[in-house]
Amino acid sequence: MSRAADASISGRFAVAGLGMSPQGRSLGIPALELRKIALENALTDSGLARSDIDGYIGTSSEMFEDIRYLGLSPRFAWTMQSGGATASWSVLNAVGAILTGQADVVACTYGAAPTSGGVVRVDGSRGGFGTYSYGYPAMYGMVGAGMAHALHARRHMHKYGTTSEHLGAVAVAQRAHASLRPDAQGFGQPFTLNDHQNSRMVVDPFRLLDCCRDTDGGVCVIVTSIERARDLRSTPAVVLGVGTGHNIRNWWTGDVYDMHDDIAPAKATAFGQAGIDLDDIDVAALYDPFSISVIMQLEAYGFCGPGEGGPFVTAGNTMLDGAIPTNTGGGQLSGFYATGFTALSEGLRQIRGEAGPTQIPNAEIALVSGHGGNGGIQNTWAHATLILGADR
Amino acid sequence: MSATPPMNYVGHTFDAPFWDGCLTHRFLLHRCTICERDYWPASTCIEHGSKSMEWTESSGAGVVHTYTVVHHAYTPEWADKIPYALAVVRLTEGPFFHTNIVGCAPADVHVGMEVTVFWDDIDADVTIPRFAPITPHSTSTNKDNRD
Repeated sequence: MSRAADASISGRFAVAGLGMSPQGRSLGIPALELRKIALENALTDSGLARSDIDGYIGTSSEMFEDIRYLGLSPRFAWTMQSGGATASWSVLNAVGAILTGQADVVACTYGAAPTSGGVVRVDGSRGGFGTYSYGYPAMYGMVGAGMAHALHARRHMHKYGTTSEHLGAVAVAQRAHASLRPDAQGFGQPFTLNDHQNSRMVVDPFRLLDCCRDTDGGVCVIVTSIERARDLRSTPAVVLGVGTGHNIRNWWTGDVYDMHDDIAPAKATAFGQAGIDLDDIDVAALYDPFSISVIMQLEAYGFCGPGEGGPFVTAGNTMLDGAIPTNTGGGQLSGFYATGFTALSEGLRQIRGEAGPTQIPNAEIALVSGHGGNGGIQNTWAHATLILGADR
Repeated sequence: MSATPPMNYVGHTFDAPFWDGCLTHRFLLHRCTICERDYWPASTCIEHGSKSMEWTESSGAGVVHTYTVVHHAYTPEWADKIPYALAVVRLTEGPFFHTNIVGCAPADVHVGMEVTVFWDDIDADVTIPRFAPITPHSTSTNKDNRD
């Protein structure tokens, strides 16, 4: 277990701006332009001036081009990449930068166009997120995050008897949310468990409707002190806690496929800082490229017991009126795929009361998670826990 | 799977001793000679660092820890290979090894299946280790078996 969480940062920082570009398939907008749109919208949202941004955290190798094209003049600009954990960890990095006097206002920016020319990979090649390959396992046909997550799903089915119908319950629940949300890919298009069961097998046990689709889009969040955030135009979302965990620890013990992520230390740190228990969480935004991800995270966070995730979701517990409303914007599965910024933006919307038809009334504390790190021989490496709270 | 996947993987030079070993059908693992823990791919012992690491021949046997049957070709070169079984084998010595399961239908692969290396000699310069069930006819295996 992790060291005792230092509660001193809790409540001192806030996400004071949220900017979204359009999110969708084949938008035809370059990634750099998507980042610009997101940043401009975050500035408008917060009321901050461009010159107020004195720290910049990018999430791509093109970060230096970002700051020039976006007309920024920060004191630092760095890029960070830890797969789907990047979004929440960029908030963590922003807090660290402000704490140590490097900046007062930090913009954390994502933007990618995997369906309009592809994303630039580490090796310089381009492709959709779904065509990532993995070291030597690529020789055996390990291509795409679907296979990597299917290895976890199969273990879970083997250990606990989880079924394809359980996986389908996740997909159906999130599509139900998305069907209400005009900003979701699945808007107006609910589907049934029967539809899920009739969708073609992709990477066993995942059917087509167990998998998210790449979308193009940009997201920018602006982090600053709570005092400054209170003076701005937008509703602050207070950073109550941030935690980290890494599945390499479970790799060494041989438990990596039994554990979707190394959630225990991330949860302990974040919840410890926030001084909250699981019961305090009003809404969850969990990283969900594939249906199994929701089941295994609900278990690891303790919303249900080990192996109970499938029945838990099937019983309706993740619906808007359920025990823990989860991925209320449709998540990655049915909302849009902006890596960890999908969950982060939805957590922010809930805390700001801006989730529209799927707003959870009086949502005061949101759990946001991130997961990933494509490359090497696997991609289920990093885990981020972020607790956001209303400023009340 | 009968067909051979493309050799589109250029491995780390750190792993070259392993692939060289395959040419003579020796399944090598990277062993810490102090604690005798085996690693794959090339690694550093989490207890004893890098100085004690040596490539050592191993059994080439293990059990299927988890797997997926791939029905969708994510890239064109796999289009005529689907469906194929991609598995993670837990080697007898401990490390995981990603591989294909051959010698049975993909639908017959299951967690806990005992497998051993099948040397796929592609040409004089390339041999790829895949894994096959130790018991050839495995369709009646208890799928509730816990490993």
